[in-house]
This record gives sequence, structure tokens and C-alpha cells, in this order.
Amino acid sequence: MTQPMVSLSGLYKIFGARDKDVLQHVKGGMGKEELLAQHGHVLGLNNINVDMQAGEITVVMGLSGSGKSTLIRHLNRLIEPTAGEIIVQGEDVMQLSEDGLRHARQEKMSMVFQKFALLPHKTVLKNAGMPLSVRGEPEADCDKEAAKWLDRVGLSGFENHYPAQLSGGMQQRVGIARALSANTPIMLMDEAFSALDPLIRTDMQDLLLELQKELHKTIIFITHDLDEALKLADHLVILKDGFVVQQGEPQHILLNPNDPYIEDFVSDINRARVLRVRSIMTPLVGGKVPKDAHGEVDVNDTLESMIARSGGDTSHAYIVKDGEQTVGTLDMTELVRALVPRVASEAGARQS
Amino acid sequence: MAFYDKLFSTLGLSDWCGDSGDEAPLSLADLAARAGGEEASGPLVPIPSFDNLHESCNRVWQSRDVTNGIEEGFLAAKPALKTVLDPITQPLSWMLDGALWLFEAMPWFIMVPLLVAISWYASRSRPVTIFVAVSIMLLAVVDHYDVAMQTLSIIFVCTTISVLFGVPIGIAMSKSDRLQKSVVPLLDLLQTLPTFVYLIPLIFLFSVTESKLYGIAIILYAIVPVIRLTDLGIRLVDQDVIEAANAFGMKDRQKLMRVQLPLALPNIMAGINQTIMMSLAMVVIASLVSAPGLGVNVLRGIRNLELGVGIVAGIGIVLLAVILDRVSKAALTRVDKTQVKH
Repeated sequence: MTQPMVSLSGLYKIFGARDKDVLQHVKGGMGKEELLAQHGHVLGLNNINVDMQAGEITVVMGLSGSGKSTLIRHLNRLIEPTAGEIIVQGEDVMQLSEDGLRHARQEKMSMVFQKFALLPHKTVLKNAGMPLSVRGEPEADCDKEAAKWLDRVGLSGFENHYPAQLSGGMQQRVGIARALSANTPIMLMDEAFSALDPLIRTDMQDLLLELQKELHKTIIFITHDLDEALKLADHLVILKDGFVVQQGEPQHILLNPNDPYIEDFVSDINRARVLRVRSIMTPLVGGKVPKDAHGEVDVNDTLESMIARSGGDTSHAYIVKDGEQTVGTLDMTELVRALVPRVASEAGARQS
Repeated sequence: MAFYDKLFSTLGLSDWCGDSGDEAPLSLADLAARAGGEEASGPLVPIPSFDNLHESCNRVWQSRDVTNGIEEGFLAAKPALKTVLDPITQPLSWMLDGALWLFEAMPWFIMVPLLVAISWYASRSRPVTIFVAVSIMLLAVVDHYDVAMQTLSIIFVCTTISVLFGVPIGIAMSKSDRLQKSVVPLLDLLQTLPTFVYLIPLIFLFSVTESKLYGIAIILYAIVPVIRLTDLGIRLVDQDVIEAANAFGMKDRQKLMRVQLPLALPNIMAGINQTIMMSLAMVVIASLVSAPGLGVNVLRGIRNLELGVGIVAGIGIVLLAVILDRVSKAALTRVDKTQVKH
């Protein structure tokens, strides 16, 4: 396995004046409530160990107060950790000097914010070019690069507007263009789409995926929305009260939740839209392809498209292909079973 | 027999106090009492003030010693203060005199269009510009043009200096909580101290013929709002935007120039507006110490009971105030409009 782009290990954050002193209690297993009651300190992050691979979208999901926004701010040290290691591209962020940190923020990591955080007194063009002009690049270059990315996010023609003249969705497009024009390998997105209405949010998610197909950035995306997390994530990290409850491939988490908290979460999900054929197929291990197969499907098709294709007939079976290669078979009965969350199916089993 | 005699004798301090045979009358009340041949009958228990205690014990100060002490202390420090302050503040005299000369030397047919043009440039508002033109012509018609220009020149210099010093002080205060805590009481003092009180120590320090005397009084009084509102404005800048500036690696200087100052500008402009208004208020009082301008006419009205002179000059000041206020407010709203918050 290649070296991860970003690697967090043993990361702790405790908010309060004596954070270093109470750290030992947390390491001794004290929880968030106890720490607050007994020592008056707030536990932000509790022993975080996450590797984020280059070119992947790592989604950190959790409810409010779970520490996800705190976590993302540790990567560029907008928040200082109490203890732990933050390695970005093999370099320990904690060891950086003030200049080194500023350089890392300019050249390595750009950020998109929930509340957009654009400069209200600058035009859209100047906002998008801000990261470049901060580095001291000539104005013409900044404008050219900014215009290119504004066009890429679908905002050409709005260069000379002010942020207040744009809708929320358009403002966040400016935010994304600003992050892209920085041309950094890493993009930090802090609940970037949470302030937008559902339709615009879907648009923006599609835009992000489309951009990612082309740019292969390392994206760390924070969200409280599981649907969004499952749609975007290559690697999903679920946070609760500051610690990682489960992390891994999103399909895997969905099918094998290891904690009641996650089971609660995943029970409300439209599984047909999220799950893909590869997660539920029977792998072809030297076995034979069924002769009565109704056709061939791709490993990355969603179950929803499969249901549409079979017309709801559960007796169908399909051959699963990954490109040219046959990799497995899919029985529609299996598919229907996978649509029911494990908790629900167990509850049903108990009743009968 | 004074009331507190017993106190000092029980404390065993009678010897230290010495003979209270001070026969010189201390106050008018004493004189009256002596003339009447009987002791002044005060309240049952006199308040333990310096004067009352002094009656029982010679060693205790009298209240007049306090005021005398302050005066003597100030006079003792005066030479040192003067050697330091005189050269530092000398440029202020030059600026005030220079501006006065310039405003007076400029022929009216250049000055009036210039002022109207400046109002247009600052406010970009037709009603405001027309109002300015009409007001100046009104002042000119009643032969108050020259004095109005004198007042304007003083305000011009004092406001400029207040902004030049006030904005950096406000910025420094916004960066440091400790500095803010120590400066705020001083600003409170400057703002609440009766305006005449400024003048007293200044008269001791500088000669009344020097223009820096009133310059300093005006600046001390008028600089407060611009400091306060710069500090406030920078502290009120949206924290999300500051965080974004940090996340993209801005240096402190870039953050100040590109984010904090532009976003605090409406507040700073409001502070400048207040500063202009307060220097106008002070310029009238400063006419007591030889500041030229409309204030002199007001003073004349009071001194000689020339009702008409005083009222015309007063209305002139009101016109000037409204001009300055409207132009700076229009400039403020213009600045505000370009940065509507989301």
C-alpha cells in the first residue's frame, strides 16, 4: 500500500485551559460527559487514527458535536491538537514553523467552508483568485486562473458580481473555484453543501464528483448527511463523541454496521440507490456462469437500476462483469434481501 | 474645642500634632464666627474632612493644600513636560497655521467650487452636493464665509490627525485584549472630562497665542470615537471570513489590509463622522483660548450680550455641522452598499 496522503495517529483534542493535564484521564478511558462533569473540559477528539489516501474522497460523518469540524481543522492546524501526530505528504504538520505552516496552507491544502466565507467587498473573480494573490502572484495570472475555474464550476459571466448578489449555491461554487484555483493536492471541505437546499446540494455533489474524476485530488469532506456521505465517499469515517466508531468502504459499513449508533443511521437510507452490485454479488470462484442468466451487468450498477431492469422479477439472475471480465453472478432474490437492513431483518425474524 | 480633639488624644498623638494654637482664620466661616463671638455650630458629628481634622491637629493637611499640591506638582513638572512636549507638538502649530493660511488665502471662487466638488466626490449624491453649495453661499451672504473657513481649516487638520493616530491605535487595541483593557478607561476619561477641564493644564503648558494649544484640546476630545469604532469594527469582522483568510495562509499584514480593514470600514467611517462632529463641538469652546473661527463670534455674543451676532454664528456652526455630517454619512452609506453581508 502506498503512503497515505494524510495520516492522523493518536490525535486528541481537549478544549479547556488544562488540556494537557486531563489528557491522562481521557487516555484512561474517561468519556465526554464524565470529563465535562468532573474536570470542566470538553472532549473534542479522542484517539483518532485515520489514513487518507491520495486521490480519494474521505468523508468524515457524524452528528453535530461529534467533533468532525474540529477534526478537519487539525489538518491545517486552524486548531492545535492536545496530543497526536498529523502527517501530510510524509511531513509532520506539528513540526512546521509559522512560515512552514503558512506555506503548507497556501500550497498543500485549500478549504471550502459551510458558510462560504467569501470576501464580501471583492468581486467573484477576485474572490476566486484570492489564494493565488495571497501567494503574491501577479494580478493578471490570478485573474486568468480564477476565470478558468469559475468557468469550470459554471459561473462564467458572473466574474464582476459581488458575492451578496449571488444565490447560496452560486456562492459555494465560488468557494469551490477559490479552493481549486489554489491548485493544492488536498481539498478540505467543511460541511460544504450543508447550507444549501436539497436540489442544489445534489447538483453540487454531482459537480464535485465530476471534477474529482478529472482532477484526482485528495478530498476530505465533512458532512452530517449519510446520503451525501455514501454518495461521495471512497473511504467513510463515522465519528461519535470525538472517536471513530467505524471506518472503511461505505458499502461495507452499510452492510456490516458494527455499532447500534451506525445501525440507527443506516436504517433510514435508500439502500437500493446506494448499494452497488459488487457489494452483494456472489463472486465467481471457479464456479460456472448460470445458463439461464438474463443478461450482463456492471459491478458498479446500483441496485435501483437492477430493479428497474428486471422489472421487479425476483427470479432473474445476471452475470456481473467488471469491464471485460466476468467476476460474479447476481441473483435477484439476494438483491431483495440486501435491501432490508440487518436490524430490521433480525427484528422480523424474532417476530415470526 | 474641636470635635476630633479627643480622638487624637486617645491615640496618643497630641504631641505629634503639636500646639493647635493656630489663630489665623482659616475660612470665611471662621471669620464670621469670630465676628459673631461664638463658635460656628456645625452638625453634631462633623464629617472627618481634612479641614475638620485640621482644627484638632495641626499636622493634618487642609483641603486647600491638596489643590495647592496639585498645582505645585504640575508647575514643578512643567519645565520637563514642556521640553518634551513642545518640540513634539510644534508641527501641530505649523499645520494649523498653514491650513489656516491656505484656507484664507484661497480665493472664494476657487474654494467654493472645490468644496462642492469634494462633497460630490465623497457622497456621489446630488441633494447633498446642492445642499453644501447652498449652505456655503448662505454663510457667504451674511459675511461669515471667512470665519467659517477658519473653523473648517481647524476641523480639517484636527480630524486628519485624529484619524492618522486613532485608526492605528484602534487596530492595536483590537489585536490585544490587554491593551484594550488599559486604553478604554483612558478613553472614557477623555470623553467624560468636561471640555473646559482640558484647557486648564494646556494653558499652563503652552502659551495661549500658540495654535497647538487648541489643536491638542480638540484632538484629545475628538480622537476617542475613531479609536473606539476602529477597535470595535475589527473585532466584529465575521470570524468565518477570518478563518478562511487563515486557511489560505494569509500573513497578518495581508489579513489586516485585505480582510479586516475593508470589512471594518463602515464602522471606521462612522467613527470618523463622530470625530468630525466632536471636533466641531470643541472648536467653539476652543475659541476661549484664541482659536479663530465661528466660535469667536459666539463668544462675542456671550461677552457683549450681542444676541444677533451670537445667533448668526450659532446657525453658521449648525450649517457647517450639517454639511460635514451629511457628506461623511453619504460617504459611509456608499461604502456600506458595496459590501452587503450575505
